[in-house]
Amino acid sequence: MQNEQDRLELLEKAQRLIKSIESNDDLVTAELLSAISIDNEKRLFKEVGQLTRNLHDNLATFALDDQLTALTDKGIPDAKERLNYVIDMTDEAANKTLTAIEEVIPVTTEMEHKSEELYKNWNKFLSRELSLPEFKAMSAEITKYLESSCRNTKFVHEKANEIVMAQGFQDLTGQVIKKVIGLVQNVEDSLVELVKIAGAQEATMTPTKATGPKDKLEGPTVPGIVVEGAVNSQDEVDDLLSSLGF
Amino acid sequence: MKILVVDDFSTMRRIVKNLLRELGFTNLDEADDGQTAWPKLKAGDYDFLVTDWNMPGMTGIDLLKTVRANPQTANMPVLLVTAESKREQIIEAAQAGVNGYIIKPFTAATLKEKIDKIFARTSG
Repeated sequence: MQNEQDRLELLEKAQRLIKSIESNDDLVTAELLSAISIDNEKRLFKEVGQLTRNLHDNLATFALDDQLTALTDKGIPDAKERLNYVIDMTDEAANKTLTAIEEVIPVTTEMEHKSEELYKNWNKFLSRELSLPEFKAMSAEITKYLESSCRNTKFVHEKANEIVMAQGFQDLTGQVIKKVIGLVQNVEDSLVELVKIAGAQEATMTPTKATGPKDKLEGPTVPGIVVEGAVNSQDEVDDLLSSLGF
Repeated sequence: MKILVVDDFSTMRRIVKNLLRELGFTNLDEADDGQTAWPKLKAGDYDFLVTDWNMPGMTGIDLLKTVRANPQTANMPVLLVTAESKREQIIEAAQAGVNGYIIKPFTAATLKEKIDKIFARTSG
């Protein structure tokens, strides 16, 4: 039931209906039945209208942009764009990580072989099994190894940092997915309400939940989705802040 | 230097903490939103706050405003690291007294640059 007034009106009609049936007044009975039926239709249309409005608002909120408000029917395509962005971001992060690892493994393998070889020779040297020319060769090898070791450990460190940075996808895609979940939830809520009305479960019907814009924050910039007033790079942020005296 | 890193995504907290460690900062603590961050800031002797904007409970901008409103923390340098990229939001943050604003995704070099700038300014 929509509200108290509707309930009282219906009650009043029902009481009149009972009287008209009791008094065998077919005309009034027919009129009242028709009126009640029209009320129901009206209520249904009102509910459908409200749901449509909510859905419209939700889609508009999802796009969150005056320019896009005119194109609210783009809500679902936008969700697709966002999910495609998630695929791209996870793809990029996985590839960055794998590339870094693929670059690191040959370096560490080479260092491993080299240190094994040097360790063997070093033990020979300690047990005085190394000839002078062999010792000279080993010294040269050690110098080369130490040089490459400095270079390689720095390289591995850089790659490790690249792997760390690549994990930023989890936060960004998480935010995008949360937005899509919000849209799906709103659509689901609206459909549930619609099903409740269509199924004539008015006795158990709860008032339509307000599904206004809860989340005004945009979240990550998604390629293909224009957000009015958004900057496109850190440089633009810096320019804007310096224009404000920063 | 004691730094508090606030983000609702643990991966991002770990990334920022790793980067800060790379830059030589080792006294790092974390919180997952403004609500858990604020008691820590109030109780602890933090020197620097790095926070996300969009978080459940209490957002980064509200945390920034709270920090600025409290005499104990009013002068603490605050760096926002966020995916929020609307001009009006950047202006709002500037007006609320942010010391630096980085949009995600960001690079290690950007973080270093902004932190250097903040400390050059606050110590100068």
